[in-house]
Amino acid sequence: MILLLAIAGAVALVLRLYFVLPIFSRRQRSTLDARKRRGKAARSATQKMLCIVLGSGGHTAEMVRLLSGVDFDRYCQRLYIVGDTDVISLDQIGMLESRRDDEKEEYFVGRVPRSRGVGQPWLTTPISVLQCFGQVARLMYQHLPDAVLCNGPGNCVVVCVVATIVRVLGVKRIPIIYVESFARVNTLSLSGKIVYMLADRFIVQWPDILQQYPQAEYVPNLV
Amino acid sequence: MSVVYVTVGSTGFDDLVSVVCSRLFLQNLASRRFQQLIVQYGSSEDVFMPPAAESDTFGVEIKSFDYTSCTQRFIDQADLVICHAGTGSILEALHSRKPTIVVVNRGLMDNHQSEIAAELSGRGYLIAADPDGLAEAVASGAYTKLTPYPNADPQPIGEILDEETMV
Repeated sequence: MILLLAIAGAVALVLRLYFVLPIFSRRQRSTLDARKRRGKAARSATQKMLCIVLGSGGHTAEMVRLLSGVDFDRYCQRLYIVGDTDVISLDQIGMLESRRDDEKEEYFVGRVPRSRGVGQPWLTTPISVLQCFGQVARLMYQHLPDAVLCNGPGNCVVVCVVATIVRVLGVKRIPIIYVESFARVNTLSLSGKIVYMLADRFIVQWPDILQQYPQAEYVPNLV
Repeated sequence: MSVVYVTVGSTGFDDLVSVVCSRLFLQNLASRRFQQLIVQYGSSEDVFMPPAAESDTFGVEIKSFDYTSCTQRFIDQADLVICHAGTGSILEALHSRKPTIVVVNRGLMDNHQSEIAAELSGRGYLIAADPDGLAEAVASGAYTKLTPYPNADPQPIGEILDEETMV
């Protein structure tokens, strides 16, 4: 009886994952599509909360450039998730937000332990991932953002997993938009390989990656 | 005044910093009529040892600091940018339309830096070099014949985001 329930549960979970995870439903998009879509999406008046994941160094520099394409009037609430040792990203958030001077807008900064520091031994990685996971889960539960925008730092894998769990549980559909780093010409980063299965839109900045990852979208000259 | 700006970014890059202190490199700068060398050496302070004697710098004036929050200002005043292959530095140099030589750090664990450097140099937007080949790359003057990098357009990200949150 218990076995039967377990099997039924497992089947239900698999079906749920099948219907919910973007990897099974995303269709192949071409670059041409991306160009044709321009201007089609009429801006909705409703205001949204956007979760932005910042990571160290180059990832943050790229994200700042990407954000200049995002309409902050529409995404008037912003949740930044930042590594707790990452002072440079905090400066960048300060600079971005100081340009916005609107009482209707607000932003939050969630500082989380790094899921994996550069050069950290793999043995201690599970512990730091769990710590990071707990913090991210708390933040996501508090704010329930309308979308996640991320571009590859280790923390973004944790954020995407949490967003997916929220979705699988049926709490809220939080679309994930992932932009692979400009530095990735032929191969995906480890974060990219994992998030490829979870992201609703997976953007790459160089065309060769499409051969191996056909569900990605190639959008050049973003940054 | 003709200025070269060297930047290693937020960490350090010993091989690059020691090369730009070498006599050969300074001699080549002088032969290309550069008068000033500004070095942001990051955590590679220990290997930043430019020649003390003025005769050994071939008349090139050398300035240095560890980090700066206004990289863009230094890039703007430079006539040639020499940077590590980190995305942040590459993008800053390309978008300011300065001749750029990117030096790849082969000592890095996950070396996708050489991927991006090779791709961009293949398209003629910048010169890619090893630390060992840097002096030569300066001497050749190939950095004067680069293609300007196209302007960035991040607008599609906003559109993709809007599409996904319309539902």
